[in-house]
Amino acid sequence: MKNPVKVSIRHLYKIFGDRPSAVLPGVLAGMGKTELLAQHNHVLGLRDINVDIREGEITVIMGLSGSGKSTLIRHLNRLIEPTSGEVLVDGENILRWNADQLRGLRRKTMSMVFQKFALLPHRTVLDNAGMALETQGQSRRDYEAEAQKWLARVGLGAYGARYPHQLSGGMQQRVGIARALTSNSGIMLMDEAFSALDPLIRTDMQDLLLELQSELHKTIVFITHDLDEALKLADHLVILKDGEVVQQGEPQHILLNPADAYIEEFVGDINRARVLRVRSVMSEGAGSGRYAGEVDANDNLEHLIAVSGGDVSLSYRVRHQGQLVGSIDMPTVVKALVPRRVAA
Amino acid sequence: MATYDGLFDGLGLRGWCDGGGAAAGGAEAPMSMADLLAKAKAGEGGAADAGTWWDLPIPSLNSLHEACAAIPQTRDLTLGLERGFLSARDALRVVLDPLTQPLSWMLREMIDLMVATPWFIMLPLLLALTWFVSRSWRVVGLVALSLGTLALVDHYTEAMQTLAIIFVCAFICVLFGVPVGIAMSRSDTLQRIVTPILDMLQTLPAFVYLIPLIFLFSVTEPKLYGIAIILYAIVPVVRLTDLGIRLVDRDVIEAADAFGLTARQKLFRVQIPLALPNIMAGVNQTIMMSLAMVVIASLVSAPGLGVLVLRGIRNLELGVGLVAGFGIVLLAIVLDRVTKSALARIDASKARH
Repeated sequence: MKNPVKVSIRHLYKIFGDRPSAVLPGVLAGMGKTELLAQHNHVLGLRDINVDIREGEITVIMGLSGSGKSTLIRHLNRLIEPTSGEVLVDGENILRWNADQLRGLRRKTMSMVFQKFALLPHRTVLDNAGMALETQGQSRRDYEAEAQKWLARVGLGAYGARYPHQLSGGMQQRVGIARALTSNSGIMLMDEAFSALDPLIRTDMQDLLLELQSELHKTIVFITHDLDEALKLADHLVILKDGEVVQQGEPQHILLNPADAYIEEFVGDINRARVLRVRSVMSEGAGSGRYAGEVDANDNLEHLIAVSGGDVSLSYRVRHQGQLVGSIDMPTVVKALVPRRVAA
Repeated sequence: MATYDGLFDGLGLRGWCDGGGAAAGGAEAPMSMADLLAKAKAGEGGAADAGTWWDLPIPSLNSLHEACAAIPQTRDLTLGLERGFLSARDALRVVLDPLTQPLSWMLREMIDLMVATPWFIMLPLLLALTWFVSRSWRVVGLVALSLGTLALVDHYTEAMQTLAIIFVCAFICVLFGVPVGIAMSRSDTLQRIVTPILDMLQTLPAFVYLIPLIFLFSVTEPKLYGIAIILYAIVPVVRLTDLGIRLVDRDVIEAADAFGLTARQKLFRVQIPLALPNIMAGVNQTIMMSLAMVVIASLVSAPGLGVLVLRGIRNLELGVGLVAGFGIVLLAIVLDRVTKSALARIDASKARH
């Protein structure tokens, strides 16, 4: 049972340079990044991107710097214009929209959170949070209640009268999130939203985002270069490299079935026990034999190993929302912890 | 027999030279003092300098003219410029006079107002204005002390005249300079066009501004010195407005775009407020430069402290000139401190992290 597609990116190409449309046919015919740079002095930013972003899910777009992830997210609200391709929002190609329609999209349908917060330094926290509504022509009296509500929701209810520079980085980004939420848009674009924060605060903010999401079910597009963050947040993970999608899918699936050596190397360093969940490794259906106990399908393997006390002879029944859904034995768990190798 | 005869003969231009010379008319330009001296010297018959290569004259218009009458003398150039300007003057006047008439009116009214208002009303008003702008008792105290000193040595009226001129001119500079700066910040083409003009305005010696203006307008008209001051002082506010808006954090601009602000909303809610510290720094510079120019403008009948400085120079009245000069320094300090404290106030409320 999958959610409906909210935003769809179709055959998106972005070429940076003086005459992108002139070199486009060559790129469509398969010219590579290095050739394009050497022969035409144009940079291939994005190449044939196809991603479906589903409603109410967190889609994480991940890649190292220079992979085009920030360029990609800016195509969704047309802060950057593509060279070729389509971006469909609720089935409509927004690349055909005029300036008014586009402004409406940015005001009501999509909001954005930025890596460097990008708050207005001369306005109070409350005014910043109400920026989207103020832009739509509301006076402070109109937007105050709504802005205050979301400030309180991100834990800054008492800070409305302060200025951004009086707040710490983590608090400023909470204002950034409150600003995006106050617009009541269905889609939230988060461009490396937590990358500028120190690790402890970052974990807090991730938890806050997940908590908000479990309540609000927004369609979130989250950009990051941090794999742990990506695996923690993603319902759907898209991995970009050099402007191309290398692999996309459910994070657990990518972890267990890396598409190529690049992904394999990428996921090689992470703590698999903490990221992999029982549901991804278990065998379905009721098994036979003796069970040492029951675990939840969404428990991670680290938890399971702790429960077993390291005894590899045990098996467990798996429950999900009260139903028995399968079984898991410890040898399977240990095997899942060994990184997969793609046959060369 | 002139040095460059050979050159024109060699190029086969002799006919053109003589023919042109004849056509240009027998009215040879009057002999200059240098010519006279040279003639006298030659008459003395002392020098046999014509032949040596050491005395080869620089190939200027004048020395070329000696060899070839068709080439104009330098004095013809200056004369031509003057004639051209004078013939265009009436047309220019028709356009410029009505356009600049409000400036005359404003200056005259402002000077009258500030001088005619009794001191016991004017001084508190100025102090209240200082408080409104700076919100600092120290600055108000400084202003009170400075204006008090000027009044004590009987320079009150002159100081008010100078202040009135500066208020009007700085106001007009801001009125025109800020929009021009904003336009420049939005168009690279416009910036490329305006920047050389600003460079020229800034590097022209202050006196040079006065030369065409004296011919254009009557010396009794206040707009004569008003225009000179405005042209000279408008540069920093234009430059710093342009710079300030271009320096606004790109991330904030991107956020404004992402939230769907219109161009106008972006300008008034984001760009101008964030550029305000720079714009205010420009206003400060503009005021200081109008003060510098108002002294020079006393040459063309601008009233105020500059007149006394000028009297000091002309009549060798050392004391008068020095006291007035000191008064100008006081005014400069006051204007600078007041605008700087206003700037500091803006900066404090918008401090960046």
